[in-house]
Amino acid sequence: MQQAIEKRELMEVEVLGVRLRGTLHRPAQSHSSRPPAGGNQERIAVLFLNSLALPRAATGDSAVYWADAVAERGYPAYRFDLPGLGDSDGETTTGLLDFINSGGYAEIAAALTKELSARGHLSGVVIAGHCAGSVSALYAAAGCRQCSGLVLMDPYFHLPVAKRPRTRELFSDWVRRSAVGKILSHLYDRVRQFRLLLRGDALPSNANTALLKRWKHVAATGLPILMFKAPGIKATASKPRIGEFDYLKHVLKLAGRRSRVQIKTLEVADHSFANRVGREAVCLGIESWLLTNFPLEDLATTAVPASPSSFGCKQGNSTMTLRPPSNRDCALEGR
Amino acid sequence: MHRLPQTNKELTERAGYFEVSGAHLYTVLHEVPNPVARLLLVGPFASERQNTYIPLVRWARYLAARDIEVLRFDYRGIGESTGAFDETTFEDWSQDVRLLSAWFAQRSPAVPLTLHGLALGAVLAGRAFDQGIGDALLLWAPPANANLALRSTLMRWVGLEQIFKFGNNRRSTADYVRELEQGSPLEVEGYQWSTRLWQESFGFSLPETLKSEATAELAYQRPVRITTLGKEAAPLAKGGSMGYDDLKDFTWLYAPHADWIAETASQFTMAGAHAASN
Repeated sequence: MQQAIEKRELMEVEVLGVRLRGTLHRPAQSHSSRPPAGGNQERIAVLFLNSLALPRAATGDSAVYWADAVAERGYPAYRFDLPGLGDSDGETTTGLLDFINSGGYAEIAAALTKELSARGHLSGVVIAGHCAGSVSALYAAAGCRQCSGLVLMDPYFHLPVAKRPRTRELFSDWVRRSAVGKILSHLYDRVRQFRLLLRGDALPSNANTALLKRWKHVAATGLPILMFKAPGIKATASKPRIGEFDYLKHVLKLAGRRSRVQIKTLEVADHSFANRVGREAVCLGIESWLLTNFPLEDLATTAVPASPSSFGCKQGNSTMTLRPPSNRDCALEGR
Repeated sequence: MHRLPQTNKELTERAGYFEVSGAHLYTVLHEVPNPVARLLLVGPFASERQNTYIPLVRWARYLAARDIEVLRFDYRGIGESTGAFDETTFEDWSQDVRLLSAWFAQRSPAVPLTLHGLALGAVLAGRAFDQGIGDALLLWAPPANANLALRSTLMRWVGLEQIFKFGNNRRSTADYVRELEQGSPLEVEGYQWSTRLWQESFGFSLPETLKSEATAELAYQRPVRITTLGKEAAPLAKGGSMGYDDLKDFTWLYAPHADWIAETASQFTMAGAHAASN
């Protein structure tokens, strides 16, 4: 068995007494005629964290795809399993969602970032996460000097319920199937919209205030942040469902004038961003964002406009037509 | 916070790449100094990998703590392994099982090798066992053929898709199957299912002799255990209800099967010693 193959290397890192396992996607040398001065000193790497309980490859192996693409462009990419997830050691807990939403992985994700930065002689690390992974990324960034940027895919700023009652699930299913249910659903949205109007700018009672505090702290410092949004149930990527609080608008306001937050709304993606057009769009988004915020010295003059082939993104057969979004297993959608 | 039972033994887990034609398979060896048996874990189909990952890693650790060495892996084109999923066939995945079995069986000291397959992995493990590979066979939730494994994945996916659809916009499993059969590839949870894959799945069956333990043991003269998993075994079995973060304690499933593996290995070793002394 080999520890490394041409473009990837398996890693074990001991962080805060826990052995974490992950994969390094080596940067393509073909993009660099010479190594950067001082090894990787000028280089930024990207670290992908688990999305909730998923292994580090993520849905449809999308994280593997993104890491390959980032490395192909010249940036080292790491994918690591956090404690109790995937191949890493550590105890697995029930109530994982609550654990993550309260910043349970913050300390170890920050320590991992620091460790990788030191091992790879990096100038910084961009932490990337999807859904619950983006929550961990954000918490980690708040406590980590080595974090140079964030890529957040469908982050959420409220405290979702991990398991809805069975009767509620059955009722929701009936609503979606029947014509009467559709009318009821619209009516329900309008009632919620009215309540929202009455409440004004006040946060909903289930807002994750601790996370919003971290967001404000991190975004206001001017840390480059790239956020991807996919459509949700009865919602577009840019606008929430009627009657739902507009967290996107709220966090942009919180970020303030100095912030460097870039939001990409991907109507073609589903919540997992694992569908072909969705993951390609994420590829392109990350590429142009990395090149803008963290240009590679030897690429600065030769950087080409983003295109799937330029970023190592395979062109799928799918066209960029709008596809209805899917829930996928993460299923924090519809929360 | 409730914690699940943990094993106390300090165990070595070695991740590595195993080279096959045109790809590298990702493997994790749960190494045991003096194993009583070895087990090759043959996992479920692509989309099921992410749902079953934690219970199967915990199963591997459970066995290793009981001196059963385990090798688990990703099929080519899936997970941490390299290769293009769209271009991979059931025959390629069969070859993955054969090659890894051969490598694993050669490890020292020589101890009995159990093949353990879950869902589609049960078909692959069963076919390898039918070809003479392995000393014992453990099947969890084996479908009669690969198509049934694909179909159940498809049904689960369609159920999730429908959460976003209202009324006439909701498409049934039959609609998607028709699309596949008419030659259009279907993207299921990031994996592109080709018409070829779908068509081949009908003919990729569990050997007839593995339809029951009795016929199997009679035919192969090697221990076989077949376990049907109910909804309570979700996410290892489909159909059960789970929260997004439910991490179940599967000791009720692990314990009897670990005992069975150790027991069959012990019988096998004793039979070998008896034959040698005669």
